[in-house]
Amino acid sequence: MSLLRVRDLTATFGAGASRLTAVNRVSFDVAQGEVLGLVGESGSGKSVTLRALLRLLPVGGAVSGRVEWEGRDLVTAGDRELRAVRGRQISMIFQEPMTSLNPVLPVRVQIEENLRAHTGLRGRARTARAKELLDLVGIPDAGRRLDEFPHQFSGGMRQRVMIAIALASEPRLLLADEPTTALDVTIQDQILKLILDLKDQLGMSVVLVTHDLGVVAETCDRMAVMYAGRIVETGSVTDVFARPAHAYTAGLMASVPRASAARSVLHSIEGTPPQLDRVPPGCAFHPRCRFATDICRRDVPALEPRVGERLSACHHADAVAAEGSPV
Amino acid sequence: MSETVLSVEDVRKDFPITRGVLERLRGRPQRAVHALNGVSLEVKRGETLGIVGESGCGKSTLARCLVRLLDLDGGRIVHEGTDVSGLTGPDRRAFNRRVQMIFQDPYSSLNPRMSVRQILTEAMRVHDMRPAAEIPARIEELLDLVRLPAGSADKRPHEFSGGQRQRIGIARALCVEPEVLVADELVSALDVSVQAQVVNLLLELQERLHLTVVFVAHDLRLVRHISHRVAVMYLGKVVEVAEAEELFERPRHPYTQALLHAAPSLDPAQRTRAVAARGELPSPIDLPSGCLFRTRCPHAFDRCVVEEPALTPRGTGHVAACHIDAPVFEAS
Amino acid sequence: MSESAQPEAADAARRSVRLPRPGHLPLPFIGGALILGLSVFVAAFPGLFAPYDPLAFDYNAVLQGPSAAHPFGTDNFGRDVLSRVIHAYTIDMQIAIFATIFPFVFGTAVGALVGYAGGIAETIFGRVVDAVITFPFLVLVIAIVSVLGPGLGNMYIAVGLVGWVFYARITAAEVRVQKRLDYADAGRAMGYTHARIIFRHLLPNAITPAIVYWMTDMALAILLGSSLGYLGLGAQPPAAEWGVQIAEAKNFMSTAWWMGVFPGLAIVVTGLGFSLLGDGLAELLRTRR
Repeated sequence: MSLLRVRDLTATFGAGASRLTAVNRVSFDVAQGEVLGLVGESGSGKSVTLRALLRLLPVGGAVSGRVEWEGRDLVTAGDRELRAVRGRQISMIFQEPMTSLNPVLPVRVQIEENLRAHTGLRGRARTARAKELLDLVGIPDAGRRLDEFPHQFSGGMRQRVMIAIALASEPRLLLADEPTTALDVTIQDQILKLILDLKDQLGMSVVLVTHDLGVVAETCDRMAVMYAGRIVETGSVTDVFARPAHAYTAGLMASVPRASAARSVLHSIEGTPPQLDRVPPGCAFHPRCRFATDICRRDVPALEPRVGERLSACHHADAVAAEGSPV
Repeated sequence: MSETVLSVEDVRKDFPITRGVLERLRGRPQRAVHALNGVSLEVKRGETLGIVGESGCGKSTLARCLVRLLDLDGGRIVHEGTDVSGLTGPDRRAFNRRVQMIFQDPYSSLNPRMSVRQILTEAMRVHDMRPAAEIPARIEELLDLVRLPAGSADKRPHEFSGGQRQRIGIARALCVEPEVLVADELVSALDVSVQAQVVNLLLELQERLHLTVVFVAHDLRLVRHISHRVAVMYLGKVVEVAEAEELFERPRHPYTQALLHAAPSLDPAQRTRAVAARGELPSPIDLPSGCLFRTRCPHAFDRCVVEEPALTPRGTGHVAACHIDAPVFEAS
Repeated sequence: MSESAQPEAADAARRSVRLPRPGHLPLPFIGGALILGLSVFVAAFPGLFAPYDPLAFDYNAVLQGPSAAHPFGTDNFGRDVLSRVIHAYTIDMQIAIFATIFPFVFGTAVGALVGYAGGIAETIFGRVVDAVITFPFLVLVIAIVSVLGPGLGNMYIAVGLVGWVFYARITAAEVRVQKRLDYADAGRAMGYTHARIIFRHLLPNAITPAIVYWMTDMALAILLGSSLGYLGLGAQPPAAEWGVQIAEAKNFMSTAWWMGVFPGLAIVVTGLGFSLLGDGLAELLRTRR
C-alpha cells in the first residue's frame, strides 16, 4: 500500500519560448516505512522533484501532474489544505542547515514554533517536548543547548536541529534534500544512521535526494535514478546495484572509484550532463552512451518493465543488464 | 621510486584570531587556530601520495605550505636537499617552476578576464620556458595533452564547463614543466561522471610525464584509487601513513578505521547500522591534551590523555600514531 | 582561402580587444556614449556650432527672450546665451576630465596596493579615509581653493588632494575580495611578482566599481566646477562656464529665466550622459564566471 503516489509530475520554469522543463513526467510510489533514494547529477531534476511534491518551487516555477497523498491531490489542493500537509504530515530537511535555520532566534524558539503550529502542546509541556526532540536526535546536554543560537552549533549538530524541527509534528513522510552533502564523512555517517533509526522508531517513510551512490547503497530500500529531468531507472537497491538496466546507471556506477581497480582507468561517461535548455532529442543520454543506436536518437524510451520487473527507460536495457554490475 | 623529492619536517602553522580593540586592552591573550601541529611526511619521486582527512584536518593548509603559498610557523620543507621554507624572489620562482599546484574551485581559480592563451603565455614567459615564437604551438600541444577541444585557446573561462576548467588548471600547472604537482581537492566540485574523466587524465599524465603527485582529498574511494601511498590527517597531524592497499586493508589507527567504516560502500549487502565514529571534531583553538583523537576514540585509555603518541612503525613503510599496537582492533 | 581568413582575423582582433558586437552593447552605454561623444565634439569645436561670439556684448539686444535670432535668448550684456552654453562645453568637459583623472589613476593604484597589502597599511589608510570623509567634500575643496586662490588650476589641485581617497577606498575593498580567490593564489604559486599579481590580475577584476564611480564623479565634477564658478572660486568671468552663467543669472531669475535655465539644462544633460555611460560600463565590464 503506497503512502505517496506520484504520477506524471512535471515542473517547469519560465514561460513561452524560454520555458524550461526541469522535471518531466516523473512517476513513483513511496510505500509505508520505506526509504526511497532519488539519485542523479547536477541538473538531473532530483531536488526540484522533491520540492515540487509540496509545490515549494521558486517564483516562476509551475507544477503539473498528480501527487496523491491520503486521498488528496497535492498539485490541485488549495493553499490551506496544502499548508495542513506541509510541515505536519510531510516535513522537509535541506542541504545547508545554516541557511535553513533563523540565525537570530535560539533553537528552542524554532522548535517550539513548529510544535505550536502542529501540535496542541502548550507551556511547560511544549518546552519538555522540545528538549525531548533534541535528545531524540542525539544532541548531548539538550536542556542547556535549547537556548543556544544556530551559530553555536557545528554543521552536524545544526543538521540534527533541523531534523528535530522537522520531526516536531511527527510527520509520516520525511523529504531529505542532500542532507549530508555539506558534512564530513564521519558526521554524514552519524546523520544517515540517525535518520534510519528515527524512521524505524516513528514509522516514517523517507525520500532521500543525493548525488552519492554510496549513500543510496547504505541507506535506501528502493532507488530512482534521474537524468535530464526524467527517471531513467527504478527498482530495489539490491537489484539495481547487482544488475543495472540503464546505460546511465551503469556508467554512473562505473565512474565511482573502487578498491579492486586501483590506479586503473575508470570507465567514465564522456561529456557532461546536458543543460535544461539543450536536452538532446530521443533518449537524453544518447550522446554520452556507448550503447546508443538510431532508435535512441529518435524515440524517447518509456519507463517500463524491461528486465524482469525492473522499470528502465533504456532501449538497450537487456544489453546493459547482460554486462552485469560494474561495481 | 624511493628517492625523496619533498620532505616535510615537523611543520606547524597557526592562524591567529583577530582580537578586537577592547580584548587587546583587557590583555586577552592572542589565540590561534592550530592548523598544522607538527606534520612530518616524505614525498617520493614518481609516486602519488594521497593526503586524506576531513575538514579541519589541515590537509589544504599543508598543500598550500608545500607550494609556499603560506609561510610556516615552525619546522621546514626540504626540496631535493634544499630548505625551501624561507625562499623569496627568484629562488622562490625557480622552486615554484618545479613544484606546481592545481586548485579545487574551477570557478575562482582562473582569472575570468584572461583567455586560456593569455593564462598559459604569461606563465611560460615569466619562466622563460620557450622562445616567444614557439609559444602558440606549445599551447596547442598543452591543450591537446589535457584533451581540450581545438580552438579552446582563445576562449575565456566562463565559456567552459567545470570539468574543462579543471583541465585548464592542469594545463596551467603543466606549462612550466614541473616535477611535482600538488592537487588540492581537484575533482570534489565536479559531478561524479566528470570526476572520473579528470581522474583518468591525471593518471595518464602522471605516467606520460613522470610526475610526482600530492593528491589532497576528502574522498577515501578516490584517494585509494589514485594513490600509491596514503597519509591520513586529523586535527593538523599525520596519524597514519602506508601503501594504499595496506592502509585500506589493514588500517592501524582508530581514526583511519572510523573513516573507512563511515565511507559509504557501494555494496548494499555491506550495510550496517553501527555508527563509525561518535562525537565531533574538537576545537582546533583549544586542542585536547595527549592524543588528539582520544575524545572520539572507542579505545582511549589513561595514557592517551597525558601522552601524545608518536608515529611508530607497523610493518614495512607503515607508520601509525597510536598507543595501542594491536594488529587489528576488534570490530566496533 | 583568403576570403575565409579575413573574417577569422577580424574575429581574432575583436577578441583581443574584447569588444562585443555592436548589437550586444547595453542600451544605456549607447545612449551615454552618444551624448558624451557629441559633448566632446562640441567642446573641441565650439566655433562650428555657436552662432555668435560668446563674449561679444550687444547693448541693443539685452535680456531678450528666446527668438529665432537667439534661440536661448540673450543675457544682461546682450551676449547670446546659446553661444555661451556651447562655448562652456570646452571648459566644463575639461573640468570633468582634469578634475577626476588624477584621483582615478592615483586612487585606484593606491587602493590596489593597500587592499593587497592589508595589515598595517590598511589600518593607516582607514584612518586617512576617516579623516577625509569627516569633512563635507565641497567645504573641504572650497577651503583648499580659498588658500590656494581662485581659478581652475587650483580647483584641480584641491579636488585631486581629496578626491583620490574615494577611488582608493572602492578599489581597496574590491581587491581585498579578489585576492582571496584561487586565481590570485595560482599566480603566487606560479612565482609571479606582487606587482604582476596586483596590476595584471587583481586590478582588472577589481576596477569596474571605480570606473563606474569615475563616470558619476565626472558629472559631480561639473557640478562642483559650476558651484565654484558660481561662488567665484572656479572659472572667472567673463569666461563662458555653466556655473558662472547661472551665477550671473541669479539677479534676473524673475525677469530673464532663460539666462539660468539653459546652462542648467546643459549640466543636466551632460550629467545624464555620464550616468548612462556608467551604468552601461557596469553592465559591459561585468565579470562572467
